[in-house]
Amino acid sequence: MNRPPAASDAADHAALILAIAQRQDRAAFATLFAYFAPRVKAWMLRAGVPPTGAEELAQETLLMVWRKAKLFDPARAGASTWIFAIARNLRLDVLRRERHPSELLAEEAADEDAETAPAADHAFDQREREVRIRAALATLPVEQATVIRKAFFEDKAHGDIEKELGIPLGTVKSRMRLAMNRLRAALGDVV
Amino acid sequence: MTTTTIRHHPSEATLLAYAAGTLPAALALVAATHLARCPVCRDMVAAAEAIGGTLLDSLSPAEMEVDVAAVDQVLERAGLPPAAPAPVLHPDLAPPLNRVRMGRWWPIGRGVRWRPLHVGGRAWAGLLLAQPGRSIPSHGHAGLELTCLLSGGFRDGGEEYAAGDVAEPVGEHDTPPVAIGAEPCLCVVGFEGMRFHGWLGLAQRLGRW
Ligand SMILES: [Zn+2]
Repeated sequence: MNRPPAASDAADHAALILAIAQRQDRAAFATLFAYFAPRVKAWMLRAGVPPTGAEELAQETLLMVWRKAKLFDPARAGASTWIFAIARNLRLDVLRRERHPSELLAEEAADEDAETAPAADHAFDQREREVRIRAALATLPVEQATVIRKAFFEDKAHGDIEKELGIPLGTVKSRMRLAMNRLRAALGDVV
Repeated sequence: MTTTTIRHHPSEATLLAYAAGTLPAALALVAATHLARCPVCRDMVAAAEAIGGTLLDSLSPAEMEVDVAAVDQVLERAGLPPAAPAPVLHPDLAPPLNRVRMGRWWPIGRGVRWRPLHVGGRAWAGLLLAQPGRSIPSHGHAGLELTCLLSGGFRDGGEEYAAGDVAEPVGEHDTPPVAIGAEPCLCVVGFEGMRFHGWLGLAQRLGRW
């Protein structure tokens, strides 16, 4: 259960979500739950959510995975990325009563998808994206990795990161720009 | 979803905050208005979300209170109906603004009107409509501000902005942005920690947001 994440896991996770979508596979859900719920909880705890709330959000995130499994498209996002976005939106909804606008755009896309077939250029398997991002993150200069990690793990926008690190906002923004450009370069044509 | 001549994009820092979920809702809505039109920034956000996914993967698992081997009790709650999708309220507006609740138009000076969006959170958003030649009301920055142009154009700090472009100013405006071109300038503006002066400041204080 405490296996280190490996590339093969990512493939398995996508297959498990598809198994839920196709046949409401409870065993697949149990495996996903055991892997992701403790990690979503860890993320919430790092973001300052109290333990009870973090537990709730972790369980609710996985419930949402069960409910939304039919919407999962492995050509658009890897399993971890898709579950990350669900957890992010749920946290905003529960803690701030805000709705992440990606949900409004998704409803727009759902309306359009009803009429048009998915584009062929989305056929690339997004597992490769997560593998390359992971490798590129490991090679970022430490000051760039720091602003990236703070952006995700602490519930702060860049203006607050500036105050905390005691460096000018322009420096925070340029480190983020450099980091994003390196990560995008690592993706190459995998976009 | 036009993809034509967008020249001004949100900063990488703003797109990262959007993907991380730390951008206040009002500003995230402006960013999303741009994203709906800009495949370049959609790719950037997809990359940033993949960072979120890999960081989630890399975390040491926290101790769960529920028995992870007994997920049947979790799934008992799965029958709850999912939240209803947000209906299209304003078919004349571009997504995602077409699904956002908003107030009425308020005149905030000659040739300029403001329509508050009901997005909640600690920042504000609204539609701003300026007749050609009118300047956008002056304001001081104390936080993030993001503007996405929906139609018409404006000039700010020597740069010209067209539909789909995003203005993300740093520091004070030297001179207020001015609506240019023949048609009115319509944009969606999100900001935090800022007080408009004059009419808009009055509307802000009256809670018309
Ligand atoms: Zn863009």
